[in-house]
Amino acid sequence: MALFSPETETMNRCELLDLQNERLGILINHAYANVRFYRNQFDAAGLNPDDIKTLDDLKKIPFTTREDLMDNYPYGMFAVPLRDVVRLQFPLGHYGNPIVIGYTREDLKIWRELVARIMVGVGITEHDIIQVAFNYGLFMGAFRFNQGAELIGAAVVPASIAPADVQIRIMRDFRSTVLVSTPSFALHIIETMRTQGIDPKELSLKIGLFGAEPWPESARGIIEEGLGIKAYDIYGVTELIEPGISGECTEKAGLHIFEDHFFPEIIDPVTGQPLIEGEEGELVLTSLTTSAYPLLRYRTHDRTALCTKPCACGRTLVRMNRTFKRTDQMISVRGINVFPEMIAEVLSGIEGIGPEYSLAINQHAGMNDKLKICVEASPESMHGENEAALHEKVQSALRKALGLRVQVEMKKGSSLFLVDMV
Amino acid sequence: MLKIKNINAVYGKIQILHRTSLHVREGEIVSLIGANGAGKTTLLNAISGLHPLESGGILFLDREIQDMKPDRIVGMGLIQVPETDKIFAPLTVLENLELGAYLRRLDRHVLKTEIEQVFSLFPILRDRGGRAAGTLSGGERQMLAFGRALMGKPKLLLLDEPSLGLAPVIVSEMFRIIESLNKMGTTILLVEQNAREALRISNRAYVMETGRIILTGAGVELLNNEEVKRAFLGTDYKEKWER
Repeated sequence: MALFSPETETMNRCELLDLQNERLGILINHAYANVRFYRNQFDAAGLNPDDIKTLDDLKKIPFTTREDLMDNYPYGMFAVPLRDVVRLQFPLGHYGNPIVIGYTREDLKIWRELVARIMVGVGITEHDIIQVAFNYGLFMGAFRFNQGAELIGAAVVPASIAPADVQIRIMRDFRSTVLVSTPSFALHIIETMRTQGIDPKELSLKIGLFGAEPWPESARGIIEEGLGIKAYDIYGVTELIEPGISGECTEKAGLHIFEDHFFPEIIDPVTGQPLIEGEEGELVLTSLTTSAYPLLRYRTHDRTALCTKPCACGRTLVRMNRTFKRTDQMISVRGINVFPEMIAEVLSGIEGIGPEYSLAINQHAGMNDKLKICVEASPESMHGENEAALHEKVQSALRKALGLRVQVEMKKGSSLFLVDMV
Repeated sequence: MLKIKNINAVYGKIQILHRTSLHVREGEIVSLIGANGAGKTTLLNAISGLHPLESGGILFLDREIQDMKPDRIVGMGLIQVPETDKIFAPLTVLENLELGAYLRRLDRHVLKTEIEQVFSLFPILRDRGGRAAGTLSGGERQMLAFGRALMGKPKLLLLDEPSLGLAPVIVSEMFRIIESLNKMGTTILLVEQNAREALRISNRAYVMETGRIILTGAGVELLNNEEVKRAFLGTDYKEKWER
């Protein structure tokens, strides 16, 4: 199988370790000198940058959490002056202070290359036509597929939020060979094809790249059969880069992490202690080459395990298991991240309801499909017109905040309630 | 080709190099830039075996050289052109060049051919052949220092501030020469305060500040980097959000 950067992707692991150590040293100097947060973290822990000699010393450094990023909004975590920043991105659907992530020209160049590595690693070439059916407005990662594809010379069709029937028509008329979307949307396309009586053989699709939400192996089977493709998982972290941290190869035996740019650790989510290879725990990432927004030991809250055994695809890069579980409360619904903290924040801003609420999730083919929120309401607000107006208000506030249509149910009083599935 | 791992070096009680790591691949021009006192020359001297290490290791052609004597390191093809006192002033130009090949124990005939090769690169040295090196101009001395280094058949050339004290015209000539030496197959690690020119001809570069490498990247990309401008041109910023 062809690789985009074979000299790096198949690097002897000892050489790779040297490269990581060299980059770590520079990153620590950079972060300590330019990010007050890290200087304070080091000083508070009685650490000197010179104490971090190799990756083995990394565990002396405290973790960085999403709360740290929120506390340092907007530019407190930036390691370069804004003059060097060429893109500012903010994830939607976050609670509390928002966060903003900056990228220098060099950061973007690396990101583009990593997306190209994922593509080439699953057999995408300059002859492919890549249809990207991610929501370009909600999921900023969508643009990265354009840039990665352009780097390898493939054609991109940013079909974005076109409805399934339009997507199918584009696939057929344009002869798209690659579909990139959430796995939920791929399922939706398959169902639409069935109702329209379209056989996957009428399409030219060969490969699918899916991500932004957990999808079980059973869903892979349905998608591969329904579209007549090979379906691969991709992984990213909004606060670093998404997509582009890791991706499956044709072996489908785990996602190769691009370790020359991101150093992975697995920790026990409760004690914070590093776990050994093969043990499942929370993935913690350190960016090794990021200039604008370097993160040391960032807690991703994704559960996975690592494997450094050589892969049949030829890459020597470590593999992570596919992620299905979180170590926090975040849930992903059709690729949109929902934080319960955000829901509580929205509800607390509306008079006559809350604070109690409960969530129910409807699953489709093992993936979260619909979200239902059941919220308590005061007896006064549950009268006639008031009730309908309040219901509308809650629904639209949640939709606005989460970027997702939510089914809302209001119940009187604060009695314990159970929610039925949608 | 060259790999430096986590080296620390001191002058008396003052630590000059802090866990410095870098690498140079065969065929590259790599620059090390930074203000005065950043530790660049100490780093080159440490590589050449002229400055002892407190800790860390240096690999050249996959062999550990941190405890080797300087002459053995030169014998392996790692040759430094120093910043000052680069030539033997009382000796003639020809004698300086001959000394460059001293460790190789060449026979007269081969020596002569190789000196001819150096002369074809630096024709001015042929004209000055019999004169004492101390009478040469700054630019000529620099060329002689290059020529003498080439007589050692370097695989990796360490250049310490080759543009220092030279007239602007000569400086561009000097960088042209460095580029052509590289094209002829010599790998180069270049220490420069003339960051602009150095970055322009480099594949990659490292930026040093007070004994630490604070930045790395492709040469041309660092040219426009604010951190580099700040370190060299003193255009500092007070707030992150200033643009």
